[in-house]
Amino acid sequence: MAPLLSVEAATKRFGGLLANKEISLAIEPGEIVGLIGPNGAGKTTLFNCITGYMHPDEGRIAFDGADITHTRPERICGLGVARTWQVVRAFGRMTALDNVICGALERTNRVAEARARAVDLLDFTELGARKHVAAANLTLADKKRLEIARALATRPRLLLLDEAMSGLTPRETAAAVQLVRRIHEELGVTICVVEHVMEVVMPLSHRVVVLDYGVKIADGRPHDIVRDELVISAYLGARRAAR
Amino acid sequence: MGRLALAVGVVAAIVYPIPLQLQGTTYYQTVGFLVLINAMLGLGWNVIGGWAGQFDFGPQVFFGVGASTAWLGLPAAVAVAVVVCALLTYPLTRLRGHYFAIATVAIWMIAQPIGATWEFIGGSQGLFIPVKARASVAASALSLQFSGPTKALGYYYSALALFALTLALMALVERSKLGYYFRAIRDDQEAAEGIGIDSRLYKVLARSITAAVFAAAGVLYAFWALSVFPEQVLELNWSTLPIMATVVGGIGRLWGPVLGAVILIPIAQIMSTTLGTGPLAGRGIDLIVYGLIIVLIAAFRPTGLLSLPWGRWFRRRRPATPAPAP
Repeated sequence: MAPLLSVEAATKRFGGLLANKEISLAIEPGEIVGLIGPNGAGKTTLFNCITGYMHPDEGRIAFDGADITHTRPERICGLGVARTWQVVRAFGRMTALDNVICGALERTNRVAEARARAVDLLDFTELGARKHVAAANLTLADKKRLEIARALATRPRLLLLDEAMSGLTPRETAAAVQLVRRIHEELGVTICVVEHVMEVVMPLSHRVVVLDYGVKIADGRPHDIVRDELVISAYLGARRAAR
Repeated sequence: MGRLALAVGVVAAIVYPIPLQLQGTTYYQTVGFLVLINAMLGLGWNVIGGWAGQFDFGPQVFFGVGASTAWLGLPAAVAVAVVVCALLTYPLTRLRGHYFAIATVAIWMIAQPIGATWEFIGGSQGLFIPVKARASVAASALSLQFSGPTKALGYYYSALALFALTLALMALVERSKLGYYFRAIRDDQEAAEGIGIDSRLYKVLARSITAAVFAAAGVLYAFWALSVFPEQVLELNWSTLPIMATVVGGIGRLWGPVLGAVILIPIAQIMSTTLGTGPLAGRGIDLIVYGLIIVLIAAFRPTGLLSLPWGRWFRRRRPATPAPAP
């Protein structure tokens, strides 16, 4: 089966800084892939390249067979890729409901239809009780859920979650992990999660890709990744790994 | 409460000129005409400036385009302005914030010498609209031409009709996909693009709606003034007054510009009549009052007068119910 998303030797430079160096990865339909790495490893840059906010200097990105290397974000969303943001970007002055309606309008021109879908998704993400609250007044955990609901409203086939669990309390994190599992099982969406909290990614992901200094250093099952020499040295330092 | 205020407003707007007309006064009909024109312009500016959140200080260009092409008739003049706006605005949509605002001002500055020297649209000599005798009231209304003692009244009701049409269309826009997408771009352009919104296209659409409203008002103004001088129709006041009205009433709210225009526009007129012969005449007192109002609004209620808790203040007092026993 052809991969849903394939990144082929993508390189992205910012002046002298090599943010992504010849990164290749593939995401198969139905997978939950974890993308991890220390701060500054190039995870968000890779997300930005996949979703069209940046374009790789070299290499190629394809979604469902279509080349999206130089496609604009709104077109990539139309093809079926949706994302959330590391620093939440809800539409602050609009209500939670209106936020999700905006997402649902990607697949319909009728506001009534979009509203019905938005209400369903707010219930799905357990935000139903707060749908008339301005997004700026929601808690961080709720804002992150709202972003997920808004992204789901565009009917994605691939959902990219950029640190959807960072900054949350342990209880909120557990609820967020539960939500990601439900999105995967009940909505059948393929998911890629960026995290640097190992405890979150390992049990959730079918497969984990590790970046360090812009280079992919490992790609495999979580079970194997935690024993990988390169990964241990990237996370814990070379001396600890040598022991 | 809102409905009552609306009903009172509608009745007042329709009825107030009639006794004045019977009395033989025409002055206050013209004040009403100017209030309505500015309310309409404010409604138009609210689309790009309020909902889409892009500060446009050059929409008067399209007021000028509408006035200069008024002889084509209202629909054609509006169409010309929309096409001109779309062509001019598309390259601007790469700019954000202050840069977008400056670019809109620059286009206005370029439009002024073009307006003053291009003979096709009258150049510095201006365009004159010949008054034709009309057989009936209906013919007058359709051609937007009124003369004689009914001129002020005729234009007042024409402006009222055009204003009502604009208000109805804007109410539709606000509730449509356009309204949602404009506000999404205002709140966060990147996030909007991430959910499939073509920010450049929707900014062009927003400003084109603004341009259409400004052009329609320009056509009405041209017929009222019977002449079109570029320096007059491109005057900065055609954008600053509606923008002030929108900010005072409530930016991004449908009724904001209407409330603002009703408050602000009569001030200048009342000042000029009451201070007309006094020692303060012609000293721009109205501008000082405007400045004061803007400062007060900016300091105490930046979201505008409509955002005040009117419902709570005016709600009918309920009979006092005893507090439930603990």
